[in-house]
Amino acid sequence: MDPEVKNSNFSEIITLRPLEVSDVDNLMVWASDERVARFCPWEPNTKREQGLDFIINRAIPHPWLRAICLNGKPIGSISVTKNSGNDACRGEIGYNLAWEHWGKGIATKAVKMAVKAVFEEWGPELERVEGLVDVENVGSQRVLEKAGFYREGLLRRYVVFKGRSRDMVMFSILCSDVENCSL
Amino acid sequence: MDPTSRITLRPFKLTDVDDFLKYAGDKTATRYMRWNPITSREEALTHLETVAIPHPWRRSIGLLDDDEDRSIGYISIFPGSGDDRSRANVGYILAAEYWGQGIVTAALRIAVSTVFADLPEVVRLQALVEVEHRASQRVLEKAGFLREGLLRKYGYCKGEIRDLFIYSLLSTDQLRI
Repeated sequence: MDPEVKNSNFSEIITLRPLEVSDVDNLMVWASDERVARFCPWEPNTKREQGLDFIINRAIPHPWLRAICLNGKPIGSISVTKNSGNDACRGEIGYNLAWEHWGKGIATKAVKMAVKAVFEEWGPELERVEGLVDVENVGSQRVLEKAGFYREGLLRRYVVFKGRSRDMVMFSILCSDVENCSL
Repeated sequence: MDPTSRITLRPFKLTDVDDFLKYAGDKTATRYMRWNPITSREEALTHLETVAIPHPWRRSIGLLDDDEDRSIGYISIFPGSGDDRSRANVGYILAAEYWGQGIVTAALRIAVSTVFADLPEVVRLQALVEVEHRASQRVLEKAGFLREGLLRKYGYCKGEIRDLFIYSLLSTDQLRI
């Protein structure tokens, strides 16, 4: 059963579940939005086929990717990468949320739910979930801080996308930082 | 004579195998490496053939000795691929008998002065160092790297999960003297 959290202010229920092909039109709402794509390596989607391609070839085979649903309707997505070998103790979180739902604490809730779920599913091997946030993406930095992540430092010119070098802030949460950690 | 004036950097050759085995097989020298000591000449030859020689940027640290240049360690700079190709990981090793003389610092400074031209897509060099490995932290600092933070439980080193300091040097940084 996927975890659910009630938003006490609005009687709205946030759930996480795998993405399906039938979610494509909802996905296009955020995937086509420049404001959502701003700090992502991808350009806003312009064609439904791109959305279908993402769901079939990236989302469904992904080791851990979920739709963020508000009262059952997908309004974003969240994922955690899985590493192998010497890097198996850490996973990287990423998420997107439709613009109209920003500022209500939904991303923070989804992050908390995802972190709890992956530590349960991949523990004891997974001990660290990290997030890399563009130094200009203050909103996302706040999301991770509110979700209990620690800011570890600024990694200069860490990645290049959309033709520019980006300084990224590294955040992490350890299994031992989370309540009821089984380690 | 200052040993750092007798240092050269060059690609590996198969004929380095016996010198390579001396430090690659040494527990002390390999303590903070993520791989286990190499114990046989065959393994050493295979490593040179399949890893060291085809490597995008690995240089033997050579000590000039009677016109011969003996490998006493190496510097390894490994760029990422795809979206990560602007970033390269730095590693190094030195035979234990040469520690404490500034050799790796000197070699790293030479490496840094040429690597950005050799690997033009790389804008960031980074190194991950264990918290206890203070000698390595000093090498990086003296070579002009900046410590950016502590990454908690970042990776496995020899079977244990470690906290690692992350250091970086950018193509745009000026080399500190």
